[in-house]
Amino acid sequence: MAFIKLAIFGFIALTVVYWSIALYARSVRKERLEKSFDAANPGTADKAARDAFVAQGMAAYQASFRPKLIGLVYVVPTLAVAIIAYLINTN
Amino acid sequence: MARVKFVLRLLVLGFFALFLHYVLPQHDIVKVTSTEVIRTDFSSINRIFFAQADSGAANPDVRDLRLINAQKQNTFLLGFVRRDSSSVMVYRNEDTGWIWPPYFKFNSADLQAVAANLARGDDWVVITRYGWRNRWISIYPNVVKMRVVDGPDVRIIPWFNIGFFIFLLVAMLFIRAMWRQFWERAVDPLMDSATHRIDRTQANLAERRGRWARWFGRK
Repeated sequence: MAFIKLAIFGFIALTVVYWSIALYARSVRKERLEKSFDAANPGTADKAARDAFVAQGMAAYQASFRPKLIGLVYVVPTLAVAIIAYLINTN
Repeated sequence: MARVKFVLRLLVLGFFALFLHYVLPQHDIVKVTSTEVIRTDFSSINRIFFAQADSGAANPDVRDLRLINAQKQNTFLLGFVRRDSSSVMVYRNEDTGWIWPPYFKFNSADLQAVAANLARGDDWVVITRYGWRNRWISIYPNVVKMRVVDGPDVRIIPWFNIGFFIFLLVAMLFIRAMWRQFWERAVDPLMDSATHRIDRTQANLAERRGRWARWFGRK
C-alpha cells in the first residue's frame, strides 16, 4: 500500500516538475528565436514575418530530440529509487 | 521591519538545516557491544521520530523496537573532526519501507543479525545512520548500513551528501532561473497592460469627476 502511495504521489510531483521544465524550455527557446530575428532584421516592424519565424523555429524545436530529453525527469528519480533501495538492502 | 524579516529568514533557514541534519545520512565509527529488543510506548512527542506503520495498517502506540548498543568514537563538527575519546551510543534499527525518510530500508531483521554477529567480536564498524539521539524524549538514530573497517582512523567520504548538496544548489539555481523567466515573459507583460488599463480608467474617472465638479461648481 505504501508503495502505491509513493508511486502515485511521486508521479504527480514529477508531472509538475516535467511541465515546469517543459514550459521553461519552450519559453527560453522562444525568447532566443525572437532575439535572433531582431538581431538579423534590425528596425523592421514586420510583425507577421517575426511571428512566422518564431512559429517555424518552435515547430522545429518541438520536432527535435531535445524536448524529449525532459522525459528523463521520470526516468532518473525512478532509477535513483531503485539504486538506493538496492544498495541499502544488500548486506 | 527589516530586522523581523531577517529573524524570520534565519528561522526558516535554521529549520531547514535542522531538517537536513536529521534526514541526511551520517557516519559513526563504533564498536558494537550488544543488541536488544525493547517494548516502546510512543507518546505524541516522540512518535514522529520513529518509523510509521504501512499505510492502511494500524499505527499502534506500543511496539517492539530493535536497538543496537555501541561504543562510539566522539567527534566535533558533524563528524569532520575526530576526538580520542569514546562514549556510549544507542541506535534503533527500523524499516523505513517506502515511507519517509526515503531510505527504502527493508532489511532491519538482517541488519540486526549482522549487528549481533559484530557484537561477538571486537571489530571497528562504520555505521551509516540518520536521526538524533535524545535522552529526554527517548529517540534514537536509525541505522541503515554497517561496514567493518580496519581501524578507528578510517577515511570516510560522504559521497551521498556531496552529491545531494550539489543537486540542491543546481536545483535552486534552476528554479531561480525559471522564476525569473516566468516573471519576465508572463507576468511583467500582463502587469504592463494592467497598469496601462488602470491608468486609462483613472484618467476617465478624473475627467468624469471634473465634469461633476464643474456641474456642482456652477450651482
